[in-house]
Amino acid sequence: MCGVVMVNFNEVAIRAETGPMMAEQDFDMNKVARKAAELRKEIDFKFDPKEIVNTDMSLADELWEAGLKLFLETGIYSTRTRRLITFDESEVKHALKKARDRLEVGQGKDKRILYSRDVNDSRPPIVFGGPFNCDVSEDMFVRFNEAYAREEIIDLLFLPGYLKTLHGLDVRPDSGLSGKTVILYARWSREAIERAGRPGLAIVGHGIMGLNEIGVTNEEWGLRRTDPRAMVMLPELKVDDVTLSRLGYYSMYGAPLYIAFTPLVGGFAGGPESTAIVSVANHIGALMLGADIIHMGPQHIRYRHQTNPHSLWVANRVKQAISRNTKMIHLTSHTTAGRTGSEQYAYEFATLELTVVPSGSHIAGPRPADLKFDNHNSPLMARLFGEIGHAVAKLKLEETNDMVLTLFEKYKDRMDFESAPVGKPFEELYDVTTLKPTKEHYEMYLKVKKELIDLGLELEMDY
Amino acid sequence: MLVDKEELFKKMQKAIYDYDKEGAVALAKEALASGIDPLEAVEKGFAVAIRDLGDKFDRMEIFLPELVMGAEAMKAAVDVLKEAITAKGETLEKKGTVVIGTVEGDIHDIGKTIVVAMLQAAGFEVVDLGKDVPIPTFVKRAEEVNADIIGASALLTTTMPRQKDLIEYLETYGKRDKYFVIVGGAPTTKEWAKEIGADGQGKDAAEAVRLCEELMKKKRGTA
Repeated sequence: MCGVVMVNFNEVAIRAETGPMMAEQDFDMNKVARKAAELRKEIDFKFDPKEIVNTDMSLADELWEAGLKLFLETGIYSTRTRRLITFDESEVKHALKKARDRLEVGQGKDKRILYSRDVNDSRPPIVFGGPFNCDVSEDMFVRFNEAYAREEIIDLLFLPGYLKTLHGLDVRPDSGLSGKTVILYARWSREAIERAGRPGLAIVGHGIMGLNEIGVTNEEWGLRRTDPRAMVMLPELKVDDVTLSRLGYYSMYGAPLYIAFTPLVGGFAGGPESTAIVSVANHIGALMLGADIIHMGPQHIRYRHQTNPHSLWVANRVKQAISRNTKMIHLTSHTTAGRTGSEQYAYEFATLELTVVPSGSHIAGPRPADLKFDNHNSPLMARLFGEIGHAVAKLKLEETNDMVLTLFEKYKDRMDFESAPVGKPFEELYDVTTLKPTKEHYEMYLKVKKELIDLGLELEMDY
Repeated sequence: MLVDKEELFKKMQKAIYDYDKEGAVALAKEALASGIDPLEAVEKGFAVAIRDLGDKFDRMEIFLPELVMGAEAMKAAVDVLKEAITAKGETLEKKGTVVIGTVEGDIHDIGKTIVVAMLQAAGFEVVDLGKDVPIPTFVKRAEEVNADIIGASALLTTTMPRQKDLIEYLETYGKRDKYFVIVGGAPTTKEWAKEIGADGQGKDAAEAVRLCEELMKKKRGTA
């Protein structure tokens, strides 16, 4: 016997090629859906729109146990090889024990130390702020990202955006043009943080150009060893070969691995209760794939954003389960129905922050879920997002449910994309030469901030 | 053997509500053995429940696993009845045939899976090509099954151009007029569909079904 050893990426890669075969639909239906539905019956909880925030920590622990049981049953499905990457309990427990609870990202004075938060942790969450993969036009890429990097409260520049065209042409994944685009994506992201005077700011990169995205890597002009690389697991508990290839590459290169997943309420995970269980299992899956930073985007099959009551309810409980039972560095992304430039946008991301920050989560975003324009986001809103995150960290779970319900009232009737405010793109919210927000946009920021202060958040008006 | 038809239809509906594939197949066989018109068995039995499940999913009263299980039970039962219908020289009225898949380079397919289940529930014959589907595969399968509609899904803005490529491919090979082409996926819009020359876009599964129904009416000249 040589004892339990950490499952490293080599082992994951081997299991993806040699694990038991299974049809994908069998995995979806007979592994994930069936088992999650069974486990759901073991926990005494039920979605309640009036009780978005949970304060019963025994429930959070039961949820953790159910998620762990589910993961041991399912493992991760490799969609290309149609095989299960499975792990035994001792391997999972060893990985949980050895999980990184502190991680340095960025360089020089822009370096940040990411850490594992607890439930009701008064330390501020790390703010992953940036375009969050909205479509960014070629002419605006540097200025847009520079404006984000100028926001001091942002700890990492988060997903600088999709460059969907180059020279006015569509960039298809893995096309010749995409090879060139990934290089420009990396160079322009670096240029943006340098122009902002934060050359060491960590960039969370993910251009979705397919496998050739690894071309962003270059210490001199591109993404560095100190920049986390984002990869996405598929719902639920699945990984594709491009992601596995990139994981292999970045593991060897030594960059921090940022793994995201988007559990879908109403999808194969079922209703909100069983989706919570599946979401816990997804966190464990990301850890077993080697994640240093774990991102959950609590998605919804009908609403397609993350601020609907089901997603809020799920995110609140799942983050508690993870914070109480693991050392994972984990965060929650924020996508909304209301679009940038509208007050609703801010109400929505504030609502989700109130549910996840006291549950021990870091924060990423925000972004409208349904974009209407290129550059459809705002650095000023990322500032507000960060400020709210810091303020909410001063609150306890017991204080936030009423605030959540009050804010939800403000947007509950405009949760569908059709009725949600259309908002404006960056070019209309900012002077793109000075990179300062317009008077109108700034006044909206102050107005929402004042409302949140009145609600009970400790925000400063003269930031 | 005398069989209470209404009672049997209720049992058929219950089998779908219970997602009971084996039960649904057994009831289909029982209907045939009892001399019940298979077309009537589909319409007054199984189809009533599957349509209701589609509505329940739309209202989020049930979720995807239940919808898929219901659609599978329905399909298994209808397969049994189809043989008898064909043997009688009749055809099961179908709303149309849809070949559907997620475009090449895109590996997201849950949204498309829901559309498949909802289309089946609504009575369409559906060929699901899965994900990461090359353009020639869409067209080849559409020709093989004599499809009415080709549906192309894309979840990423970077893969949406493949929907445009599909239309260009059909035009290039002189096949554009043979099929309606519809597009879907989170980043797609009606404006995008118009821009690339598609016949429509569904913002969600329910709208995709309505769109297919409208297109089929147009094809039959009943719109």
